[in-house]
Amino acid sequence: MNIITKFKNMFSSKDVGVEEPAQNNVADDITNITSEPVEENNPFSEPETVVRQVIRVPEVADDIFPPVDENKVLIKAQPSATSDQCLFMLNRPLFSGHSWWFPDFESAEGSLLAESLFSLEDVASVLVNEATITITRKDKNICDWKSLGSEVGTVLRERLEEGEELISQKIISEMPSQDEIQEGIQKAIDEEVNPGVAGHGGLITLEHIKGNTITIKMGGGCQGCSSADLTLKQGVHSSFRKFVPEVGAIFDETDHAAGLNPYF
Amino acid sequence: MPKLNKFKIHIQTGSEGIEEPARFCFNSHVLPLEELSGGTKPGETLEGGYDVNSVAHSMTLVGPEKGTWSLQKIKVDFECENTPPYSVEYPAVELDETTELNIWKDPPLPTFDV
Repeated sequence: MNIITKFKNMFSSKDVGVEEPAQNNVADDITNITSEPVEENNPFSEPETVVRQVIRVPEVADDIFPPVDENKVLIKAQPSATSDQCLFMLNRPLFSGHSWWFPDFESAEGSLLAESLFSLEDVASVLVNEATITITRKDKNICDWKSLGSEVGTVLRERLEEGEELISQKIISEMPSQDEIQEGIQKAIDEEVNPGVAGHGGLITLEHIKGNTITIKMGGGCQGCSSADLTLKQGVHSSFRKFVPEVGAIFDETDHAAGLNPYF
Repeated sequence: MPKLNKFKIHIQTGSEGIEEPARFCFNSHVLPLEELSGGTKPGETLEGGYDVNSVAHSMTLVGPEKGTWSLQKIKVDFECENTPPYSVEYPAVELDETTELNIWKDPPLPTFDV
């Protein structure tokens, strides 16, 4: 018995086990049509049951900056889809091989670049990663990044042209080794993160690590879940930073659209 | 997730081609490419596309039922609703009866110079 018949019977006096004749039921006809074998000439086939491995190769990326004088600082701003953050891409490295998250003004002490950025009124946090900076703004109601973006661009140019140390020497000298960071992150995953998401059938795995930049994958119930971003930002991030305060950028490499039945 | 109006794909075959029609998989439904020109023999370039008119969750280029298909270069031109057209290019890759290649990419976020 199909689902529609069952649903109809729930609201009728008929026994659930009794099926109406299919020819008298429009809904049944529709269901029967869709469940018929696919005709050879019909391009709209049934979902393929053979599970193939999906190969993901990085696209051939065009250089985002035109070839110009190397001394000229070029910056492109890319606001996020939700407009709460903006990624600033530069044509030169800011913190080679590493990343650093400045959650507030106090954490920026000694790092000229972050100190200058926090002097802008609407900057809430700063994430420096190789040749990019991600700014989160305080006022979540403003979607337009043109004004703040322009101010950020001016600050970045000034600091880079001064040629002074961008990141505090204390941060650089006290940076743990990659192995130590990996060990701490794995401990966070095993002891706090995965037990936390296990109740929803979720599973977080450490995909790879470069310096102090972490890439994770969300599996099980987390893959394709509409709350995955919230879990990542409010659960995984804080847990990782609790276990390893020196962790920098954290990326989610999960393909939330993959699989035969992802939940959106 | 954006609504994909239509796409065009350009597939340059490398050393190993295929005899069977090229197929793609859109949101787990396997479909043949339409408006085909060119071929999938070694060294040939196939051009095709499809008027999808549907919200895109996933899209892959499906490997052949038998043998290996060596792809030299793949370029996909997307036309989504409410966004300017954009193209994505992928490097050389090999497909067979157990694999498919992800060819979907969300429209790029707009950028501006500061």
